Amino acid sequence: MNKMLASSLAVPAVDPIELQIIRQRLIAIPNLIEKNIERTAFSLLVQEYKDYAVGFVDARGQLVTQSRYSLPAFVANALGLGVRSGLAAFGEKAMRDGDVFFVSDAEVLGGHLNDICMFTPIWIEGTLIGFFAVIVHWIDVGGATAGSCLAPTATELSQEGIQYPVMRLVQEGRRLDEIFRLIAKNTRFPRLLMGDVEAQLGGCAMGRELVREVVAQHGQAGILAAIEAMRADSSQNMARAIRAVPPGTYTASSFFDDDGVALDQPIKVNVKVVADGETLTIDFSDVSDQVPGPFNSGRDGGAVATARMALKFLLSSSTPVNEGEFDNVRVEIPDGKFLSAGPEAAHGSGPNTHASVVDTILRAFHEALPDMVPAGHHGIFGTHTITGVNERTGERFLCMDAMSGGWGAFANSDGPGPFRSTAHGDVRDVPVEIQEALYPYRIETKRLREDSGGPGRFRGGLGVEKVYRFLQPLTLMNKLDRTKCPPWGLVGGGPGKPAGGEVIRASGERHPLRKGILAVGKDDVLVISSGGGGGHGPASERTADRLNADVLEGYVTVEGALSDYGIVLKNGADKGQGELPPA
Amino acid sequence: MDQVGPDVTADNHSRRYLIAADTGGTFTDLAVFDTQTGETRFGKTLTTYGDLVAGVIAGLEDTKVRLDQAAIFKHGTTHVINAFIQRQGARTALVTTKGFRDVLEIARGNRPETFNLRYRRQECLVPRRLRFEVAERIEGKGEVVQPLDRKDVERLIPVLRAAGVEAIAVSLLNSYVNPIHEEEVARMLSEALPHVYVTSGTRLSREWMEYERTSTAVGNAFVGARMSEYIAGFFSELNDRDFRGRFYLSSSSGGVITAEDAIAQPIALVESGPVGGCIGAAAYAAALELPRIVAFDMGGTTAKCALVEDGRFDVVSTYWVGGYERGFPIRTPVLDIVEVGAGGGSVAWVDENKRMRLGPKSAGSDPGPIAFGRGGIEPTVTDANVVLGRIGSDSFMGGRLLLDVESAKTCISEQLAGPLGYSGPDAVDRVSQGILDLANVTMAGAIKEITVERGRDIRDYQLFVFGGGGPLFAAELARDLGIEEVVVPPHPGAFSSLGMLMTEARRDAARTFLSALSPASIVGAQSQFEVMERELRDSMSAEFDVSRICYLREADMNYVGQSHTVRVSLPPELSVGAVRSAFEREYLARYGHSNEGMEVTFVALRAGGVVPTARPSLEAVKWVGEVNAEPGPSFYRQIYFARAKARLTTPVYRRSDLPIGAAIEGPAVVEEYSSTTVIGAGDRLVVGKLGELRITCAINRRTERSTHE
Repeated sequence: MNKMLASSLAVPAVDPIELQIIRQRLIAIPNLIEKNIERTAFSLLVQEYKDYAVGFVDARGQLVTQSRYSLPAFVANALGLGVRSGLAAFGEKAMRDGDVFFVSDAEVLGGHLNDICMFTPIWIEGTLIGFFAVIVHWIDVGGATAGSCLAPTATELSQEGIQYPVMRLVQEGRRLDEIFRLIAKNTRFPRLLMGDVEAQLGGCAMGRELVREVVAQHGQAGILAAIEAMRADSSQNMARAIRAVPPGTYTASSFFDDDGVALDQPIKVNVKVVADGETLTIDFSDVSDQVPGPFNSGRDGGAVATARMALKFLLSSSTPVNEGEFDNVRVEIPDGKFLSAGPEAAHGSGPNTHASVVDTILRAFHEALPDMVPAGHHGIFGTHTITGVNERTGERFLCMDAMSGGWGAFANSDGPGPFRSTAHGDVRDVPVEIQEALYPYRIETKRLREDSGGPGRFRGGLGVEKVYRFLQPLTLMNKLDRTKCPPWGLVGGGPGKPAGGEVIRASGERHPLRKGILAVGKDDVLVISSGGGGGHGPASERTADRLNADVLEGYVTVEGALSDYGIVLKNGADKGQGELPPA
Repeated sequence: MDQVGPDVTADNHSRRYLIAADTGGTFTDLAVFDTQTGETRFGKTLTTYGDLVAGVIAGLEDTKVRLDQAAIFKHGTTHVINAFIQRQGARTALVTTKGFRDVLEIARGNRPETFNLRYRRQECLVPRRLRFEVAERIEGKGEVVQPLDRKDVERLIPVLRAAGVEAIAVSLLNSYVNPIHEEEVARMLSEALPHVYVTSGTRLSREWMEYERTSTAVGNAFVGARMSEYIAGFFSELNDRDFRGRFYLSSSSGGVITAEDAIAQPIALVESGPVGGCIGAAAYAAALELPRIVAFDMGGTTAKCALVEDGRFDVVSTYWVGGYERGFPIRTPVLDIVEVGAGGGSVAWVDENKRMRLGPKSAGSDPGPIAFGRGGIEPTVTDANVVLGRIGSDSFMGGRLLLDVESAKTCISEQLAGPLGYSGPDAVDRVSQGILDLANVTMAGAIKEITVERGRDIRDYQLFVFGGGGPLFAAELARDLGIEEVVVPPHPGAFSSLGMLMTEARRDAARTFLSALSPASIVGAQSQFEVMERELRDSMSAEFDVSRICYLREADMNYVGQSHTVRVSLPPELSVGAVRSAFEREYLARYGHSNEGMEVTFVALRAGGVVPTARPSLEAVKWVGEVNAEPGPSFYRQIYFARAKARLTTPVYRRSDLPIGAAIEGPAVVEEYSSTTVIGAGDRLVVGKLGELRITCAINRRTERSTHE
């Protein structure tokens, strides 16, 4: 704080309303670029998954403002980390006007190798104003498995693709062709990837020009003052929110099934939150060690990213992310945990753990902020990847489909959903009709999973069930999790039904689904279910009206009403009508 | 409707009037054009929510036009959007493919409010108990995998009847590629339930994505059942007054459609009202040869804008009812109008960090701005305009509403200037100007967003402004956007009904067409277009003179592998080379790069049929009143100007005093009923050949309160 005040004193006073105007202009820029990237990108991951983030970062590598629909995992961390690695490697002076850098180094970003942070310095009249940065999930960067990070059983980072240390892609406006060729040679999908790279590069350049325009209008002093004011405001907003958390030590726990390699070895998520009125400490000292499988993240991509995500959800949900929000947040974790793994560990599925880790942090806050914290949500990415060579077209394809699931109930409302997890924002499912038009399988069912919402005074949101039928031999990669630790209820509410699935072979043979790679054949069927959200308050306190409505709509079956709520409802009249009467 | 027979001709001598009535959120506006004298008259009344017709009839009485002398009555209505927003539609059921009952509720699983734990979408229009499945299956290429089980449909009929449904949406998986089952289900249900309104998704949209198409069908069914009542009610009121002309409704894609079409496809009216202004803007742009304009419409509760190029506007294919964040999509062609601000009612306030903020809260029209004296206590954008003298305190609405300047000043001083630490004699003026600056930057930001998103450079455009607040902001907004020229048309306060008078008849059709660009796909596209054009012509022939029909051909295209598409206007002669270059031109314009050598593919084909209808000439609406040979200011007023940072003695002109060719140097104000145009020092205003005000802005890219001191 003091350092910040000192630097803001060095800036001449700027009219307070003009400051607001500059702020408004800066906030608008990443949102503009975001729209452009989404439209210009080639891969569905960018367009439909929103697996990117766009931001303006100051000259020290501190995030000033970030696009509104960015994936939560990139919150206030990845862009600044990338820029700071460039500053450390090259020094400010060597980062010239017109340069564009990129980095995926696991030691820097702590994420999987598909996440590439690209950034460009903004020089104006000899002053480095800041950087414009865009992080995009590249569809494939080589490694053992198509999609790179998708390998469910990788045990080393080097199996997950090429790793780019921070380096130039464009030098003073000149494209370095050999680097473009290097990138194109290290992917299974050069056409898609190079399209995305162009979109990302275009976004950096456009952002740089738009920031220049703001400086041209308001001058350097104005923009620097606005950057400081944005940081100070963010810091103060969060400080006020932290003061409202009753001091104390709060804990919560959950666990993952396993890492796909050391089977049936649960990964523990034991979280401790310490509030003292001034700072919040998120302590991960007691989480599981780094695991052999790919469910690891580095400290910044794991422990720090999840702590920040949880605090955005809980205390600062409506403002654009700014580094200042985390001035009074401490993250404790020793090296070598699965959220602070070494750079040699497999990182591919690290982000898959984020949703449940965030949810566990939120759960720890429940005692302190009981009205703000919902019961547990389904908590996983729910992705399964179907890949192969389409016999009809001869083309290799990869479709990453995903499951939405139920979210937890609150003290005063049923759980929402089905939605993707807390690790996703504006991420859309791939429509069934697009998949069936392009890929050699059919989706026979996509429906709400009845009785999956945790019972309670307020019921958890429902999970989803999907059934796929494969029309030719294909490969299924899957990272199903949380089948043993269901989404928790709160204050006596019951847990939601956990995720699960099975493959039914054309022969009739059944395999329960677990993490891994599976060859599937013609007419094999995949049945997969996502978890429901946890309930809130005792089931016995659910009002008759609400329970009746649930049964009428078919969210709860007559059998479920009996087993979960102990209520006998007469069959027929109360049953949902969406089911046809028997023939 | 049989009342509108094709024998009625628009130029029948005894029927001399063209009438346009636009029921908006606050006001119902009417414009009447007399084809014999060339005179245009306007009527304005408060919109009556319970009974939209009553407001129209009251407004019509204002204009003293007899309906038996009307040739054409064009109606823009908020009925459809109101029914959605107030959830006052029919009891609706959905029939879908087995296994997909919950498509409507699962939607796409996304949460556009990323960090909001309590985020949820608005509830579905059809509850789960009214969503039914039938056994049938068509696969992704259109082949029937499982024939429709008619017994399933038959079993449904008594269930639907018992449930008392008034409307049914039928939307089956993959029907966009083969609608045979969907049509059969719809036919069976219509026959068995003749009093129920039945819609099938593919009649509305032949494009892929099951959630969006199902949502479209459901939306149409939900509002459709009541549409015929509304239109019949409207009609009987008109008939009671001996109306024997043609009756059309203004559709969201910028044309008029018949009552039958409106009843079959009510979602086509979702933005029925707001398109009027854009059509008027396009008509002026064409007549004045303005190649690229931003049509900017600012009223009391919203500011909207649209891009018009070469006299044409873009039409988008998906509209989000209730907004993208929480609403639901409907696939219907809608003129590409984007909301860019909250209008004059936006409230300014000071946040916990002592920063001035503007909106999102709006005082709207109730209680309205402080200066209106109707109970408003929070300072708004309009109050800032009043305090600064930009809006005349005794000339607003032609003096019908006297403004309370002192209360507005006091509130701005106490609620804003004090807490923000402004002092001195000009503190209130500086803060008021700050409110306008913030409003400007917010709107300018949103306008830039829509231009950048479309790959356009805003500086290549002229700003065309209307609505009560548009001309007040125009010069400052243009300066902020780097635009050199502003155009204010005649009657900016009543412009949307004026624009509606100019609408032509238009119908649209579209098909998903997944085919890589090749000589074979060109042949396929050509025949698809011919089929669609034949359908358009046939569907319009009963009501319009289709010998004058013009077709528009567009395609949604992309590079193979992309999922988003670019809308491309196709050349009349289709060929691989011509289509590819049209695509690349559009792609390059939009994204700044194209990818030579990459395969290009069609995703959807879109055809539009446009038939001209009788409309007023712009020449005829140019005269806004008596011409004064020596135009001079009516009086002078002290007005604060940002660039001067001071109040200047400013001449105030009446617009009706300004002849064509008149030139005024800023600072100056031009007042007319329901609108005020303000120009600053260095700006120059000239009255153009159609009576439009043309303002050349003194461009100063650096704001006055430069930080270089």
